[in-house]
Amino acid sequence: MRRALGFLGDWGVALLSLAYLLALGPLVPGFLSAPNLGNVVSNVLPLLAVALGQTLVLVTGGIDLSVTATVALASVAGAKVMTESGGAFPGNAALGIAAMLAVGIGVGLVNGLAVARLRMPPFLATLAVMTFASGFAIWWTRSQGISGLPASFRALGGTTPGGAPFSLLVVVPLALLAHLLLSRTVFGRWLYAVGGNARAARVSGVPVERVLVLAYVACGLCAAVAAVLYSARLETGSPVLGQRIFLDVIGGAVIGGTSLFGGRGTVRGTVFGVLFITLVDNSLNLMGLSSFPILMVKGSVILAAAVLDALRERLVG
Amino acid sequence: MKRHDIVAVDWGRGPVIPRDSDWTGPEESAVSAPPPAGGFLVARRDGAPRNDKAPALLLAFLAFGFVSCQAKPAAPTIGVAFETLQTEFWVAAIDAIRADLAGRGYVMAEAIADGDANRQLEQVRSFIARRVDGIVVVPRDAKSIIPMIKAANEAGIPIVLFNRPPDPSDARSVAVVADNLGIARATVDHLCGLARKTGKKVKAAILVGDLGDVNAIGRRDGFDQAAAACADAIDVVARIPTEWNQEKALAGVTNALQANPDLGLIFTSSDFMLPSIASALKGAGRYRKAGEEGHVILGGFDGDATAWRMIEEGTLDATGVQDVYFEAKAAIEALLDVKAGKAVPPAILDPGFVIHQGNKAEMAPRMWGARVAGRKAGGA
Repeated sequence: MRRALGFLGDWGVALLSLAYLLALGPLVPGFLSAPNLGNVVSNVLPLLAVALGQTLVLVTGGIDLSVTATVALASVAGAKVMTESGGAFPGNAALGIAAMLAVGIGVGLVNGLAVARLRMPPFLATLAVMTFASGFAIWWTRSQGISGLPASFRALGGTTPGGAPFSLLVVVPLALLAHLLLSRTVFGRWLYAVGGNARAARVSGVPVERVLVLAYVACGLCAAVAAVLYSARLETGSPVLGQRIFLDVIGGAVIGGTSLFGGRGTVRGTVFGVLFITLVDNSLNLMGLSSFPILMVKGSVILAAAVLDALRERLVG
Repeated sequence: MKRHDIVAVDWGRGPVIPRDSDWTGPEESAVSAPPPAGGFLVARRDGAPRNDKAPALLLAFLAFGFVSCQAKPAAPTIGVAFETLQTEFWVAAIDAIRADLAGRGYVMAEAIADGDANRQLEQVRSFIARRVDGIVVVPRDAKSIIPMIKAANEAGIPIVLFNRPPDPSDARSVAVVADNLGIARATVDHLCGLARKTGKKVKAAILVGDLGDVNAIGRRDGFDQAAAACADAIDVVARIPTEWNQEKALAGVTNALQANPDLGLIFTSSDFMLPSIASALKGAGRYRKAGEEGHVILGGFDGDATAWRMIEEGTLDATGVQDVYFEAKAAIEALLDVKAGKAVPPAILDPGFVIHQGNKAEMAPRMWGARVAGRKAGGA
């Protein structure tokens, strides 16, 4: 029984995703077609990049509300650098990507310092940063998208000669790295320790402040990676990019078993959580439902996962 | 977006659209392999092999679903992807498209992006994966739509942009757009005429939309051209940025009225902000009917139900109406023409019209907002 429960805990969301695929495959036109499954993979990858970073922060017992604004700000910063329509370094995709990643690290650093050093509640600190970053991105661009991105950058939104999305080559290593970080390193154990009981962790010699700062920096970096992928596929730097993905980011992590109370969560769970929520979204789209019922269904699924998390926290502690 | 930008896209000959038979490609042949039969040998924990049919059944079920999903939907289907349904205009537009498609025997697949360009890209890709017969899109913006058009081009699916044109590019599409500049200019010309009749120079304000939206830019430019032409009658003292947000519109008009208590003319780039203007005017004690002392000359754009009610009660002097029924019909006809291989111009302009106190009885039947208001009043 215990073994079965353990198996379900480890692979429950994966089985849920498979069951969903099997149940709806014959019912939803085009759901199991090769192009659509390719779409699902393409849709999962940038979202997964953001969710991986968010998982690290959630494990510490925090939350990063600013990931969407980080995506937008990184997107326009990179586009401003590399656009061939008057960019600082026209056509230089490498510098554009570097600018995006720098923005992600910078925003994460601000968040981390605010939470760790100023002892601000993560909700408040990241909400303030989100508001500032989002407003700055819109002000900086006068609410205008930036096109003219170099072809070498836009290629990141396409596929390899073998037909696989380029983003696969970015996000799979990122996920493996995050998995190794969480499960095989001392830093990973520190993250769980801080999320489980920060005071006990501090007494045990865990450098809590440093761990928190690094977790938020990693989260910002992951959001910036997502900004690269989103901007490349849309061929545009947009100040409103990613504004609506937060529900999916948190939903993917929580459905995957990451606790909103901290101290629990795995990369594997987040991978399958994001896959599941993308499958739900994709299938409901194919059914021709408008965005409002889709939001209601996704909201219900995430609520159910959060309630299960709360019940588990109450029962098991 | 300037008008010459719209017509600068070089697509006079129209694309070559593959016939339905072209869709019997590798996707369909790739799934013709029979589902796996028989059992799989699965090692048990004790090391002894056992024959377990469950994985085979699972694969067979998947293959069945895969094969069944390859079939093109029987009824011809048009994918309609809107950026938002936030205002009555978009609701009226999607209803008009739905009615037009139903009348032609087409099924409409609907997707709303809720303001998210990435989501819209995913929705358009879903339509392509479903192999719909055509796509109508209200893009989130003129730039992020380009990869979506390219994806449709690559799949050989005709795509029409409704109400918002794309930036110039080599992607092939047809855009059905209102003549924002022309309609806004005609509307403000009418307001200027009313201002002249007051015999004094009237202080004016414009509520500007989201400048990431080419429609907002066209309307602003139309206002500017008309205002420049009647500089003797009006003095523009406030340009209120709203980003298509009612709360910002309310705050902006309230501030403008505080700074200029004698403000005499307001033009809004969209009628959906009229309730905000009315609220601010009421707060300042300036919400009066045309002809009453202290009336603020009011003009709008879109022609929604609120505008119609305000025109009926006399508080709104004029509004530029987008002919949503013309646009819906033109979009579907363009889509079908492209699919049939006919030449279609890259931009089709809706000339629209101005409805005002002097012609409201005559023009109301063509105003979509009047029809919506009529349905609401009738409880439909």
